[in-house]
Parts: sequence; C-alpha cells; structure tokens
Amino acid sequence: MYSVPERITMFGLGAGLVGSVYPTIMAHTGGQGIPCPLRALTGVPCPFCGLTTATVALTHGEWGLAAGTSPLAYLAAALVAGTAPILLARVAGMARPPRPWSDAARKRTQRTAYAVVAISWVFQLHRYGFL
Amino acid sequence: MTDPSTAIPAASPYANWGQRVGAYLIDVAPIIVLDLIFGRISILLSLFISLLGLGWTVYNRWFQAGTTGQSLGKKVLNLRLVSEETGQPIGPLMAFVRDICHFVDSIICFVGYLFPLWDAKRQTIADKIVRTVVIPA
Repeated sequence: MYSVPERITMFGLGAGLVGSVYPTIMAHTGGQGIPCPLRALTGVPCPFCGLTTATVALTHGEWGLAAGTSPLAYLAAALVAGTAPILLARVAGMARPPRPWSDAARKRTQRTAYAVVAISWVFQLHRYGFL
Repeated sequence: MTDPSTAIPAASPYANWGQRVGAYLIDVAPIIVLDLIFGRISILLSLFISLLGLGWTVYNRWFQAGTTGQSLGKKVLNLRLVSEETGQPIGPLMAFVRDICHFVDSIICFVGYLFPLWDAKRQTIADKIVRTVVIPA
C-alpha cells in the first residue's frame, strides 16, 4: 500500500518518462499534442494548462521555458524528487506501510492544494492575457 | 487491538488508478486497433468504424457495465462499477450519464481522471457526481 504522495510520485515518474520522449513521438506521428478542452471550447485556460509543455521542457533541461509555461510542473517535480526515495524504500520493503494523516493534516493539505490551483489559474489567465 | 486512527487496511476496498486506466484501455483497444488498421483506407470505412465504436460503447460501457458492473476491461481486470450507496450495478442509463459526466473530468486538462490518485474513495469527478465507485470484483 502506498501513500497519496507516493501514488502521485509514481504518476509523476511516468509523466516524466513520457515527457522525455514526447517530442520524438510527436515528430514521428505528426501529432499536435492534446489541447485543453476548456481553452479549445471557450478560449479561457484552465489552471493546469501548459503542464505538458512544462513537463517536456523540464525533462529536456529548459528550465526557463518550464517556469514560464507552468510553475506547477516545478512543484510536481519537487514532490517527485522528495518522495521518490521513500517510494523506492517502500518498494524494496525497507520502509513500513504509511500511516494515515490526521483529519487536521488532510484539511491543511486540501486547503493548500486549492490555494496552489487558484494561484496557478491566475498565472495561466495572466499568461494568456486575461489579467 | 489495532488503533483505528492509525490502522491501514490490508487492501483498499477500491480499485486503484492503474487498474482503472488498464480497464479503460482494454475497453477502447478494439476500436483503436480497428481504426489504426482500416481507418485510413477511406472516409467511408472510417465512418463505419466510428459507428462501430459507438455501438461497442453502447453495448460494453453502458449496457454491460450498467447491468453487470463489468465492461470488458473491468471483467478482464476483475473490477466492478457499483453505486456508492447500494453496492449494486447502476443500470445502463446511469452508466451513460456517468460517461457524459466524464466531460467534467476532461474540461480541466483531463486532471479529473487523476482524482483516483488522491481521493479517499478513488473516484473521478464523474464518479462523485453520479455516486459510483469502482471496486475489486
């Protein structure tokens, strides 16, 4: 059994792996990537817009492009870097199963996540000239 | 006796994200394979495959999953889609409504589909709207 940060880290590692080969896949298939449905329908970006571009940029060492496209990718990368050793220890059987967080800690994390998403949305709205 | 505030259940009563993605990929695989093989031959054939895809979705994801709780993918991976309240299959109409509600999962850059990674009941937003859970069969 894995904790929520570890599950997100597993996904993040997978996303990083895909991100590292994404330009090659697109070049070979002639694909244009996956557009944000909200932006495609309304023109308004969502809080998570730019994550694909930023992930690809991060995995190719283009730090400035990643920061300018979606700082959320940096946050995700920090979570992955911080949690990956724990995940590895868990997979290797060197760490005990995770303990559930207290209700207070869950609520704090939830509120923080909402705040981060809100800030990211403001960033994206500014990036696309709405603010 | 184990302290309930720190106890970890031996296995989660809900299907994990990887299992759910796997089941979905199995559900859509037949149509993707057909489209890759025949879809580029002619527009008419591509249209026929699209209609076939719609028929397959109606049968597999709405009728089968609605009446038995198991689409092909869920059957292969031993999962069941059930009502959060009754624990029973939700019926073809609600299975259809659930797929319509996946629009909400998609609209935010598809992040709604990642909700099972952190949600306590491993639900997507669509699952929360129609009150369904995916559990091991």
